[in-house]
Amino acid sequence: MSSDTAPAITCRHVWQVFGPDSEPALAQALAQSGGDAAAAAVALRDKGLIPAVQDATFEVAEGELFVIMGLSGSGKSTLVRCISHLLDPTGGEIRIHGEDIVTASKQRLIELRRNKLGMVFQHFGLFPHMTVAQNVAYPLRVQGVKQAARRAKAQTVIDLVGLSGREDTYPRELSGGQRQRVGIARSLVADCEVWFLDEPFSALDPLIRRQLQDEFLQIRANLNTTIVFITHDINEALKLADRIAIMRDGRIVQIGTPTEIVLNPVDDYVREFAKDVARGRHARVASVMHSGDGGGHVRGPDDPGLRRNMTLDAALAKCMDLYEPVPVWDDSGMCVGTVHPAELAAALQVDEA
Amino acid sequence: MTTAADPVSAARARLTPGAQAALVTVLVGCVCLLLGPNLPWLTAWPAAWTAPATQWVGVGAEWFLNAIKPAARGFSEVLRFPMDWANFVLGATPWPLLVGGATALGWAIGGVRMAMLGFAGLSFVLASGYWAQSMNTLALVAVSVPLALLLGGAIGILANEFTRIRGAVQAMLDVMQTVPTFAYLTPLLLLFGFGPVVGLIASAIYAAPPMARNVMLGLERVDAEIKEAAVMSGGTRLQQLFQVEIPSAASQIMVGVNQCLMAALSMVIIAAVIGGFDDIGWEVLLTMRKAQFGQSLLAGLVIVAFAVIIDRMSAALALERRRYDPRVAYSLIGLAVVFTVVFWSHLPDPATFTLLDPLAAAVDHGLGAFTADNGARLDAIKNGAMFYGLLPLKIGLDDAVLDFTWGFQWTAAMSLALYALALVAGLLLALRERLTGGLLLVIAVGMLETGIANLPWPFVLTATAALAWVAQGRGFAAIATGLLLTILLSGLFERALLSLYLSGAAVFACALVGGCIGLLCAVSPLAWRIMRPICDMLQTIPLFVFLIPVLMFFQIGEFSAFLAICLYAVVPMIRYTRHGLISTPGEMIEAATASGATTWQTMRDVRAPYAAPTILLGLNQTILYAFAMLVIAALIGTTGLGQSIYLALGQADVGLGLSAGASMAVLALIADRLVQGFAEERRRALGL
Ligand SMILES: Nc1ncnc2c1ncn2[C@@H]1O[C@H](COP(=O)(O)OP(=O)(O)O)[C@@H](O)[C@H]1O
Ligand SMILES: [Mg+2]
Repeated sequence: MSSDTAPAITCRHVWQVFGPDSEPALAQALAQSGGDAAAAAVALRDKGLIPAVQDATFEVAEGELFVIMGLSGSGKSTLVRCISHLLDPTGGEIRIHGEDIVTASKQRLIELRRNKLGMVFQHFGLFPHMTVAQNVAYPLRVQGVKQAARRAKAQTVIDLVGLSGREDTYPRELSGGQRQRVGIARSLVADCEVWFLDEPFSALDPLIRRQLQDEFLQIRANLNTTIVFITHDINEALKLADRIAIMRDGRIVQIGTPTEIVLNPVDDYVREFAKDVARGRHARVASVMHSGDGGGHVRGPDDPGLRRNMTLDAALAKCMDLYEPVPVWDDSGMCVGTVHPAELAAALQVDEA
Repeated sequence: MTTAADPVSAARARLTPGAQAALVTVLVGCVCLLLGPNLPWLTAWPAAWTAPATQWVGVGAEWFLNAIKPAARGFSEVLRFPMDWANFVLGATPWPLLVGGATALGWAIGGVRMAMLGFAGLSFVLASGYWAQSMNTLALVAVSVPLALLLGGAIGILANEFTRIRGAVQAMLDVMQTVPTFAYLTPLLLLFGFGPVVGLIASAIYAAPPMARNVMLGLERVDAEIKEAAVMSGGTRLQQLFQVEIPSAASQIMVGVNQCLMAALSMVIIAAVIGGFDDIGWEVLLTMRKAQFGQSLLAGLVIVAFAVIIDRMSAALALERRRYDPRVAYSLIGLAVVFTVVFWSHLPDPATFTLLDPLAAAVDHGLGAFTADNGARLDAIKNGAMFYGLLPLKIGLDDAVLDFTWGFQWTAAMSLALYALALVAGLLLALRERLTGGLLLVIAVGMLETGIANLPWPFVLTATAALAWVAQGRGFAAIATGLLLTILLSGLFERALLSLYLSGAAVFACALVGGCIGLLCAVSPLAWRIMRPICDMLQTIPLFVFLIPVLMFFQIGEFSAFLAICLYAVVPMIRYTRHGLISTPGEMIEAATASGATTWQTMRDVRAPYAAPTILLGLNQTILYAFAMLVIAALIGTTGLGQSIYLALGQADVGLGLSAGASMAVLALIADRLVQGFAEERRRALGL
């Protein structure tokens, strides 16, 4: 992340409060609490308003896959709808590539959505009266692209999501997994730069879900879009994310890489999530090693050969019977640090503590 | 246990709102009863207190109508073009082409069944000899429906776009649909003069609300994610609306089109009472007046045939449908063209078709014979219902029980005995923790003794306010009272009570009979298989036609009106009762069965309470249906507001027509909100 280019998405103190006259109520609550978000939220709740998103502040870097995770009702959808400006945030500042979208004109928002933003919905949001091809091509149709051109473009994304041959069927004739492929194709047809996915796989069976996750990662590898991905499934989050933001009751309680979330949960709520995870399979050696050149270690014959990006499980299996710090190597064979096997074991034990 | 310091407030705290309301009503009723003989203004609203509101309304409305008259006349000139054109097209097209066209349309919409329906229906019309009149009616419908669709669609879309006006639009639509049909006609008559344009515009106005409602509902129900997907696709608001939201709401909107068509047809036929246009409604009216019931029935059946064709075909459009081979439709039209060309010189004038006249004559003959043979029995039915049911309700036991009706004269002593009995029964109920029930019993007996038409106005006002308070809270109680006061002030209260009596009696009968039939249909699938087409038919038939059969057997009079209202208004009660009873969740029934409940115990303890809100909604519909029919029934002899509206139409008295129409709407709206309130309360109590 270089500091001279603006991050893809910037959110500062974003609030979304549902209820009548929410804007003055929010301003008043913030003034009374002296800017303390938690106290302001309590005050708003007491008035019968719903602070669905409270004081969300974070940045998403260009090309990053940013996952927002939390239980249902924690405000994930609301937050992502603020960023895509389907909802007007009650307070705060949201920038996409440096451009303030809260104050953007209607016209400008339409332009942004045509050229820059794409969104996938939990229940697909397919147009029931249009065929697969028409659904997919719709973002081009509103721009006035000619029929033949948009059909051709739609065909490439339909092929990309593996729906070739189903172009002329209607959504009601498709299975859930196929419908979401249509949703994905539609959001990609206009070459978006920022891609929002609101629990895209949550309505699907586990098997189909896994398959679509894999395909999603493949698609993503060939695009360089910035992605905001919503899920309530910790395993999905860990599998996909570059960074994860965890939401609880409207607040973001922790932002971090998958490893940080698993190894250092900030509170019981996050710990509860992380408990379901076999952390040995997600945390890497790099997260527990002591950096440094390891005192000029030379790789001996009995060296277990730990690498930075090995999972903890794999590393522990290699040095289970060692009691000394073990050197860690990078890909070029340089020693980049050491790790003590006891620390490895301890890192795997955190949740029992 | 809490110890209450103040016994009065302790007692109040123990009274449910229902009991409090009933108590107040009983007290006011007692006061009126005791002081009535000495203070006549308590029983009957003194004429001196009425404002000449009808005249004011008349003057105001006439001034307004005259002001916009030039514009209206211009508009009617403009409308004349499409009307003449539709008339010409439908009138000049050879009938084989129209029959073929209807059949082909039927095929395209719904395959063989619809094609047969179109063919059989139009053939029947042809055979009846009323072809020309039917085409005139159809021409009016053909012009008014697009107008209504446009108007309703525009209202619906605007209300959807501008959330702030939605409440106001809803209220306006409510009023437009509760103002009785005839009441529309009087001001329009003044605006447009005699002629078919009045019927045209009345039907466009009357048919727009269902369209608007369904457009609003459909747009509102479009899945939020679909709307969001359209936004995120970068559509402008207009693109979102017309490319995504409206097509997604298509099936709900088609329901609106269906209702719009039916309302337009119904109104076009009602507008025939203005006369001056040779359409099928006029034919019914004419033959009815001449007591040619066979012909009248025939013309009525022609209307029914149209209603059924239009209804079933447009309803089929609202369903997900298969595609039918268009080649069949083209061949049908081709066949009709060939037929027309080949037989061009021999095509008989449809007016000369008298195929069904013998049938009509036979009906007349048979009816004559039947009434001659069974006249005494029919009279006995009618008189029995009048003497023992309707009259006591209307004027009370003390006036209705006479030597020549009941065989004895009602005396003051009997009144006292009745009241004493009611009091004892009420007390017994109260002692068994059923205070509200006891009070209601006393009120019911008091009303029966006095008669609805003679109820003292303070009592009516209090009772309405009390009910309104229980059902919807203080605000609505104030509104209801205020609205009733305007009726009082305008001097229409007596007539309003008469309307209330007749519709009340009809609703009561419908609730009883419809409830029982609905229950039967819920337990017996066979009963529902028989009742369902009957209900469908009764709901398709335009109001007007209901008058024919009752007239045939019971002549002009209040009983006939009562029967016609019941026939029309009983259907929703049947439908909703059945639907409520059968839609109890399976788990609840299984739980009851597992607990060892018998079928009837399950019905009483599980299904009925669960169905209560639905049944109340059915009752609500029944009430609205009854009010709608009440006005039509004025044609065959009712007193009350309906009659006033009908008279006003004949005398082009805008003031009376509007005031009576508004009073009618007020009664309907209050009844509507009351029942809705109770239904809502039940639903909340069940956590639905
Ligand atoms: N339009 C709305 N009006 C009122 N409350 C809402 C609205 N949308 C969402 N909420 C409330 O905001 C909270 C967060 O909802 P949502 O963002 O949908 O949660 P999630 O997507 O994490 O399941 C919930 O309590 C929900 O009831
Ligand atoms: Mg959500």
